[in-house]
Amino acid sequence: MKPPTDRGSLALGAYVYAVLAFIIVPLVIVIPMSFSQNDYLAFPPSGFTLKWYAEYFDSRQWRAATWLSVQVALLTALFASVIGTAATYAMIRGRSRLVTVFQILLIGPIIVPHIALAVGLYLFFQTIGLSGTIPGFVLAHTVLTLPFVVFTMAAALGKVDANLEAAAMSCGASRFQAFRLVTLPLVLPSLASSALFAFIISFDEPVVSFFLSGVRQKTLPRRMFEDIEQNLTPVIPAIATLLIVLSILILLGAHVLRSRSVTR
Amino acid sequence: MNIASARQSATGASIRISRLEKRFGAVSAVDGVDIDIAAGEFVALLGPSGSGKTTILMSVAGFEFPTSGTIHVDSEDLTYVPSNRRNLGMVFQNYTLFPHLSILDNVAFPLKMRGLRTAERHARAEAALATVRLAGYGHRRPNELSGGQQQRVALARAIVYQPRVLLMDEPLSALDKNLREDMQLEIKRLHAELGITVIFVTHDQSEALTMADRIAVLRDGKIQQIGPARQLYERPTNLFTAGFIGEMNFVDVAVQSVGDDISVALPWGETWRLPATAAVERLAAGEAAVLAVRPERLQLGAGSPGQVVTVTLSDIVYAGSALLLIGRLPDGTEMRARIPGASQLSSLAPGDVASFTIPTEAMLLYRGKR
Repeated sequence: MKPPTDRGSLALGAYVYAVLAFIIVPLVIVIPMSFSQNDYLAFPPSGFTLKWYAEYFDSRQWRAATWLSVQVALLTALFASVIGTAATYAMIRGRSRLVTVFQILLIGPIIVPHIALAVGLYLFFQTIGLSGTIPGFVLAHTVLTLPFVVFTMAAALGKVDANLEAAAMSCGASRFQAFRLVTLPLVLPSLASSALFAFIISFDEPVVSFFLSGVRQKTLPRRMFEDIEQNLTPVIPAIATLLIVLSILILLGAHVLRSRSVTR
Repeated sequence: MNIASARQSATGASIRISRLEKRFGAVSAVDGVDIDIAAGEFVALLGPSGSGKTTILMSVAGFEFPTSGTIHVDSEDLTYVPSNRRNLGMVFQNYTLFPHLSILDNVAFPLKMRGLRTAERHARAEAALATVRLAGYGHRRPNELSGGQQQRVALARAIVYQPRVLLMDEPLSALDKNLREDMQLEIKRLHAELGITVIFVTHDQSEALTMADRIAVLRDGKIQQIGPARQLYERPTNLFTAGFIGEMNFVDVAVQSVGDDISVALPWGETWRLPATAAVERLAAGEAAVLAVRPERLQLGAGSPGQVVTVTLSDIVYAGSALLLIGRLPDGTEMRARIPGASQLSSLAPGDVASFTIPTEAMLLYRGKR
């Protein structure tokens, strides 16, 4: 005897697959277009060529934009993970009554629309001369990525028994040694994974970069927007494909790091 | 080697806690505590939660700084010295082993902090593990050990650098009952072997009575009584300790006269004459007092010398080595008796009225009402 068909679960299944399809469709369209022989964006693509990838790697402008984005993303990852970890540690272990205030300030950038943040930073940085500079990009991106670091590190630090540091100190460790030798190794996988997230968020952040980019200093996303307006060749899908691969590698890396911290 | 000679070769330090006070805002967690601990002594701090026992220990450990008062270890003032410079061993309630280090590296951690080289660190850590009967466990990870084994590793880590004082904060409360009793003996054995001074915080009175040379009973940040187990049990100095340590029957009485002996009026109209030594606190005629007696001091029947009470039994509980009889005195006050050798008492049933004799020397008198 067959079990009765459950219309509800059929509908749910269809819905889930539809959502997955909509998530994957852009990837399925963009990746083949990057290999297309046409000089304009067209789907379905015709032929196969790697010339758009070659154009990207050969262009001094593309390379300059990419190098700027890499520098900004690396520095952002460094600052956001260090500041975010220190701030989260203070919020979790501290006894201050201002903890709630700090919490709201730190995760604020998730709630505030990026466009509002971008306009504000643009006007501010213009007056103090940080617009279009690496320190300017790094400051802005650090603010944007801090919430992600705080969420990741709050989960990780919350699982570490505060008495472990007391035990280390009773063994003769200083306060800082207790953190460095006990707490830090225990949260290191989460710290690394939050730095990776900060890197990728900064690397393909378009809105704030659009406002802060100068005539010469352009991040990769900003340069891509310009190219879309002026040329719209398959170089854009080629770069998008490279970014997709990079993101997948980073997500895999973060996943490996986090599963290592679980088995500990 | 007997206990006395072990004491003499003791390597422990003496500890003097003077007028210790710790206030959190308006609340006094510790309120003027004085304790003198001799070198090599085992002292338990016993009290309900919120009695200040842990705050006292944390002040000795250096994790809390007192509002006022001093802590001396061997005449060195440690009151405001940071915890990592006190050289005291500490065992926490929840093992607190470092999960990312092997057992051997956990035990060797204090030696690493003291700058010893790896080879010597490991040799001494191995020796400490052998002391807690965990030789050969060094390569394992903390999560591969049972709770009792983990606590023994924590013990090894606390003693590996031969501190002169060992502080323990309810170290056995996370273990189940059998394991707890094993560990009590293990810690006692270590204490005798090492001659180390121990301060042991617990809320479990039988643990304190079993393990400690002296017990400090705490309540609301004040010491109620400090003394050896026998003294605490047989002549508690106030009503709180009388009720807190072991089981105790209390009867409200009125003091009629105080002289060579004391006469008290019982609630059901009788008057008893008790020896003057029964009064633990100073009593005056006309005052209210509480008569206290341990359940195991009551004797069934009216034959032997002492005062006789009649009790209407409500519950008869078979408790293995003794029979617990629960009933009410003529005025309704509850009275419990523990009678050993239960077999001949099987005829008693709830609702029966039984006579008990209370030997005069078993009765204690305190001021106030129960």
